[in-house]
Amino acid sequence: MDIDDLPSGHTNASSTVITPGETVTDDPQWMRGHGTFAPTDSTLICSTLAGTLQKTNKLLSIVPLRARYTPEIGDLVIGRIVEVQSRKWKVDVAAPLLAHLPLSSINLPGGIQRKRTSVDELNIRSYFSEGELIVAEVQSLFQSGAASLHTRSLKYGKLRNGYFLAVSGVGGGSGVVRARRQIFSIQTARGGEVDVILGVNGYIWLAKHVDEKREEVGLNRLEETASSAMYSSQNDEIGVETRQEIARIAGCVRALIEGAVKVEEETVRRAYDAAVELDDFEGGLEIPAQQRGRNIVQVVLNSG
Amino acid sequence: MPPFTNIPLSPAELSYLHTSLSQTPPLRPDGRSPTDFRPLVAETDILPSANGSARICFADGTEAVVGVKAEVERSLGLGVEAGDGDVDMDEEDGGGVGLGERGKKSRGRGEWLEVAIEIPGVRDDDALPVFLSAMLSEALLADGGLKERLWINARFHWRLYVDVFLLSSPLSYPLPLLSLTTHLALLSTRLPALISEKDEDPLFNDDWEASLYLYPRASEPAAQTLKPPFTLLVMSVGENIIFDPSREELSVAESVLAISASPSTSISNSNNNNTLNMVALRTIDPPSRLTGSAVPNSITAGGPSLTSAEILALREKDQGQSVWRPPRGGIPRALVSKMIKMVVEKGGVGEEVLAALAGVGT
Repeated sequence: MDIDDLPSGHTNASSTVITPGETVTDDPQWMRGHGTFAPTDSTLICSTLAGTLQKTNKLLSIVPLRARYTPEIGDLVIGRIVEVQSRKWKVDVAAPLLAHLPLSSINLPGGIQRKRTSVDELNIRSYFSEGELIVAEVQSLFQSGAASLHTRSLKYGKLRNGYFLAVSGVGGGSGVVRARRQIFSIQTARGGEVDVILGVNGYIWLAKHVDEKREEVGLNRLEETASSAMYSSQNDEIGVETRQEIARIAGCVRALIEGAVKVEEETVRRAYDAAVELDDFEGGLEIPAQQRGRNIVQVVLNSG
Repeated sequence: MPPFTNIPLSPAELSYLHTSLSQTPPLRPDGRSPTDFRPLVAETDILPSANGSARICFADGTEAVVGVKAEVERSLGLGVEAGDGDVDMDEEDGGGVGLGERGKKSRGRGEWLEVAIEIPGVRDDDALPVFLSAMLSEALLADGGLKERLWINARFHWRLYVDVFLLSSPLSYPLPLLSLTTHLALLSTRLPALISEKDEDPLFNDDWEASLYLYPRASEPAAQTLKPPFTLLVMSVGENIIFDPSREELSVAESVLAISASPSTSISNSNNNNTLNMVALRTIDPPSRLTGSAVPNSITAGGPSLTSAEILALREKDQGQSVWRPPRGGIPRALVSKMIKMVVEKGGVGEEVLAALAGVGT
C-alpha cells in the first residue's frame, strides 16, 4: 500500500483492511497515532487493530472496523440503569466501562433546587431503578475512562412513550455521528410529531412528542419545573398511527445501519421521507426491511 | 453491538411493546406480520467429516452450527426388554389434533440418540442447554421413526450424536434456531449403505456416493418421504398469537409455547398428502414474569400520602392498564389449541416452514 497516495484527512481512510500485527510502514518519516505500536529499536509502525488506515499529515492511525463507544465530555448519551448503589447509579452506555450517575447530578423533584438529603438516598429507586432508560450528558471522565453523567437539564431524564433500538457505535461505515443536533422531532405523515434522540453511543430512542405543560420560567428557576412527572414511567396514550410511524422510523434507522450509512438527523429525515414517498406511491404502509430498506438507503445516498 | 442483555427493559418500554403487540392486527417492532419469520441464511453439508451438518444464521446475528455423527455400536442386553426409552407425552392433544401413531413395537431405543448443546458463556450442565437438548431429543424421538432407522440388526445399531453449537450469545430464546438447524442437519445426514445381511457383523459399502439418507428424499424410491420434526416458538399477547418472537417481543409475552411438529409418517397417505402432527409441546416460562411492575402516576404524583395497603389496592385495581405489570396466570385452553392449529393446519405456518427448509440447497 502506498501511504503517500492516501489523501490526508479525517474522512479519507484507505479501503484496504489492516489486521492486528501487520506492518503499516517502515519509513521513519511517519509518526504513529491511535491503533498502532512501534516495536523498540526499529522504525516499523505496526497495527494493533483490525481497521483501515487514516493519515493526518504525518500521523498514521488505524480506524477500527468496529469499536465500543468511547465517552467524551459533552456527549449526549442514552443509557440503561444496570445497578443502583447507595448514592449513585451504574449506567450501561455501551462503553467498555459502566458510567456513573451520582445522585447529586440529577434534578431532584419538589420545587426549588435543594441539597440532597438522606431521604433522597433512601428513595433512590423512585427516581431511576434497574432497567430504566435515561438520556444524559457526559459530565466528566474518570482516569479509567469511565464516564460520569448528569441529567441536570429539562432535556434529560427518564425516557418513556417510545421505542428503543441500539445500533453499533463508532467504527466502520455506520453508527451515530456526533452532530450539532442529536434531539429533534419529525413531523410524521399521519401520527403527529415523533421525537428522535440519537445517543452518541449508538442507542436511539423514538418517542411520541409530548408538549410539556410548562409556564414560562426564568433561567434561574428552571429547576422548579422538575416535577415528579419527570420520573414517571407511565406512558401517555399513544395512538396506533403514532406507533406505526415510530415503527417506520425505526425501520428506516435499521435500513441505514444495514446500508452502512451514518445515522444523523439529515439521513434519518431523508430516509423517512423516502419511506413515506414509497408508501404513498404504493398506497398503504410498510415498515422498511430488507429490499425495501436497501431501496430507501439508495434514495438517501443519491439525494445526499 | 448487542445491548446489555441481562438487564430487563424499562417498564415504559415494556408497556409500549405490550400495547403495540395487543393491537389488532399486532404491530410488531420490526413490521412483520404475526406469522412472519425473521429472514435467515441457511446452508447444509458444511462439515466434510460429519455425516450431516447445517448452519443457520438469523438476521439478528444469532448463528448455530449442527453436526451429526453416526457410530456403529453393539447392542447390549440382547432380547431383554429394557424399559422403553420412549418419552411419554401426556395427553396434550389440544383441539383434537392427533399425536401420531404410537404403540407399535419399535426395535429402536431412545438412548441411541444423543443431543448435546453448547452455548457460549453457559456451562453445559446449566438448566438452559439441558432443557433445550431434552426438548430437541424429545421431539426427534416422539414419532419413533428415527429410532427405527438407527437399528441395523439384532446385534448392532447406529448411535447418533447430534452436536449443536450456538455460535453467538443467546439474544433471543434459541430453541427455534437450534431446532431448525438440527432439522436441516438431519435432512442432510447420510449413513453408509449396508452390504452384509441379517445378523452378521455389519459391513458397509465404502462408496460415499452410495450412502443412504437417514431421512429418505422424495426422489428416492423409498416408500415414504420422511422429515425430521421441527420446533417452533409461539407466544401470545392478549388474544394475539405471534410466531418467531424476537428478544424484545419475548420480554412482554404473556405465554410462550414450544410446539414440535413432524410430517405424518403414516404410509396410507400418498406423498403429496402429508399432514403435520404435533409430536411435543412445552410451555416456556416467559421472561416477562421476571420484570418488575411500574408505579402508576396516581400513586406517585404528589397525591396525599397513602398507606401501603391503599397503594397495594390501587395497583391491583389498575390491572396493568396504565403501567406495565408482569403477566400472571397461565394460558387459556382455547388459546393453546388455536396456537397448535395454526402450526399444524393445512396451509398453516408449519407447512410454510417445511417448504422453506426443503428449499435449502445442499
